[in-house]
Amino acid sequence: MSEFIEADDMALLAASFEAVMAEAPGPGEADQALFDLGWAELLAAAPGPAAAMVFSALGATGSAATLLDDVVAHALGMPISPDVCVLLPASLHAERAAPQSDEPRIFNQEEPLEISGLVSSRIDRAATVVTVWDKESGPEFTSFEAGFLRNRGATGVDPAHAYRHLSVRVAAHFLTPLEAEATWETAVAAARVALAHQLIGGARWMLAEARQHALDRVQFGRPVASFQSIRHKLAESLVQIEGAASVAGACVHDPDPMLAALAKSLAGQAALTTAAHTQQVLAGMGFTAEHRFHLWLKRMLVIDTLFGSASSLPTEIGQDLLTRGTAPRLIQL
Amino acid sequence: MEPEIFRRDLGAWLDANADELTPPYEGLASMDVSMEHYSRVKRALYDADFGRYGWPESVGGLGGTPLLRAIVGEEINFRDLADPNAWTMIEVLAPTVIDFAPPELSARLVPPFIRGDEMWCQGFSEPDAGSDLASLSCRAAKTDGGWVVNGQKIWTSFIEYSQRCVLLTRTGEPDSAHRGITAFLVDVDSPGISYSPIETMHGRTDFAEVQFDDVFVPADRILGEENGGWQVAMDILPYERSTTFWHRGALLHRRCSDLITQVAASGDHDTAAAKAIGQAFQSIVAFRSRSRDTQHQLAAGQQLGVETSVDKILITSAEQQLFEAARDLLLGVIEFDEGLTAAQWRTDYLYSKAASIYGGTAEIQRNIVARRLLDLGPEA
Ligand SMILES: Cc1cc2nc3c(=O)[nH]c(=O)nc-3n(C[C@H](O)[C@H](O)[C@H](O)COP(=O)(O)OP(=O)(O)OC[C@H]3O[C@@H](n4cnc5c(N)ncnc54)[C@H](O)[C@@H]3O)c2cc1C
Repeated sequence: MSEFIEADDMALLAASFEAVMAEAPGPGEADQALFDLGWAELLAAAPGPAAAMVFSALGATGSAATLLDDVVAHALGMPISPDVCVLLPASLHAERAAPQSDEPRIFNQEEPLEISGLVSSRIDRAATVVTVWDKESGPEFTSFEAGFLRNRGATGVDPAHAYRHLSVRVAAHFLTPLEAEATWETAVAAARVALAHQLIGGARWMLAEARQHALDRVQFGRPVASFQSIRHKLAESLVQIEGAASVAGACVHDPDPMLAALAKSLAGQAALTTAAHTQQVLAGMGFTAEHRFHLWLKRMLVIDTLFGSASSLPTEIGQDLLTRGTAPRLIQL
Repeated sequence: MEPEIFRRDLGAWLDANADELTPPYEGLASMDVSMEHYSRVKRALYDADFGRYGWPESVGGLGGTPLLRAIVGEEINFRDLADPNAWTMIEVLAPTVIDFAPPELSARLVPPFIRGDEMWCQGFSEPDAGSDLASLSCRAAKTDGGWVVNGQKIWTSFIEYSQRCVLLTRTGEPDSAHRGITAFLVDVDSPGISYSPIETMHGRTDFAEVQFDDVFVPADRILGEENGGWQVAMDILPYERSTTFWHRGALLHRRCSDLITQVAASGDHDTAAAKAIGQAFQSIVAFRSRSRDTQHQLAAGQQLGVETSVDKILITSAEQQLFEAARDLLLGVIEFDEGLTAAQWRTDYLYSKAASIYGGTAEIQRNIVARRLLDLGPEA
């Protein structure tokens, strides 16, 4: 069906998705309205273009709709439903961890099992939690009832996003094995690409704020946009954003897992660079709780951390390259 | 001609002719020797038709999209078959000369260039006009049947090996800036042209200081309009930053792969090494992805413009990051080691420092992005 979604239609859809997101930016607030708009059907029909459009909109509007759960569930061949929530990789120590080990985990196989990972605020409404269990024999998917995890866990730097870090103990008989149609690696790739688009959407929003402020703010008798060090910071941000956007765009159909990791890493780097430069250009105003910049900064920190960060992914990618012994040609004309 | 089929056929041909095409030297040869081999490879590609695709029939080409030229240079660079810098001059200069020269002139002069029988150079920069190119002062004055050129150029790459030079001259008032510049295609052996090579820091002499003393240039060697030379110069940029960059991106990819192979073989690498490699590769992929988008725009007949400054900044960062990573990971090799591999790393490392200088400095690129792409208004 992706061929049947013309660019014009996609732009129209994007506008209606953005409007809904902007209306209800809080954690999960827009979820139902987005499902009513046809999010599930769109994702099922054209997963790559749908995720690109919708996650760019999430980044641009600062919405905390919990749609990543759907991207992961769909990539695993599971139903797309606001009732399904996914326990995500914590990835907090990926820097030190070996590749692949940043999966959500059930640490020991003794009872009670210890489950650790990140969940979105969808858990407060969902019926089922899906996660992956990295047994020695390979990853195994499992689900359990969401009920006892509601309203738990610490929300951290970005409460408005409500991704929480959970570490809980569950008795084995609560777990139901699941048949996934795809590998965890596929789901990770899909999530990374979606998040890359969100980071890029957020970075573009921050850059636009910084640009407008630089043009409006007058010091020494002229707009601060006329000072070269301000100009170069914003130029650097745009260049990183465009590089990352190109790689994310190259991931639209069945991305190679390494290319998806690169897209996420580049997008995280672009977003963090843009955040730092925007902060500096906004100066005192950007340090207030009044200006919306801080909401984006905090959101970017969280999104960068999910599924591998701009700091941890290059190590993972480099290790993979060293194991292969050569650089794969991921980009062909 | 489908690009994928073209690439496959080209690859098969390159493999079948490896004996003839592989350089007769290992590592770095002298400029003389590597230029000679470069011409041989160019000529062989031309004779086998691969070197003619992507060029218009009016200059001896076989037509087709410029993507085909991008593929040829890419495969040559992936296989390290010919001097990459010599190759860039064709992609930088020939398309613009085809755009601006009278058809008769380009039909006569361009074919030997793309065949590899000739080399051309670019006479833009002057001792007092670097980043501020529009302030150039090398003068062309009208005379019977043509023009007389007097002045100086500097950093003119490959002039020693060149038969022709695309030259920017001042034809308006001294302060006429970009409004008073005219471009010419000048024969390097014209009486009155002399040059002295300048030694570069990476140990290869590939540019020179050039003196013009009453050099006669026939009227039919004008490119574009009188006082229209700035358009010619601006026309060059998008070509320089599309096909040429795509070729150089292939070289960076190969060198990154070499680095990975070398570090992997040494067996002792830690997390920091993996991270440095991951970051270098990531920058190369960002550049190549962006450059591919640019290639497709060019192939679709779109006019490329200032947005190619983004490509330029990306390739510069990728190149410098890669060779800094090589220096860090191959500890001491660049500083102390003998041998061909070390010499290659050393030369590439040093040459990467030029990436933020030639073709518009890193600062000038950021000025362009700020002014033209971000629309930040005038500078203080
Ligand atoms: C390897 C190599 C090959 C070359 N080949 C050729 C060739 O074949 N033909 C040719 O014509 N030229 C060639 N060049 C010349 C090249 O184009 C110039 O070196 C370049 O344009 C910069 O000019 P410049 O060296 O005079 O530096 P300058 O313009 O003097 O700049 C000095 C410093 O000031 C900075 N600067 C200048 N203006 C500004 C500004 N407005 N804002 C902020 N910073 C500024 C620059 O970025 C730089 O850091 C080559 C150069 C190299 C290194």
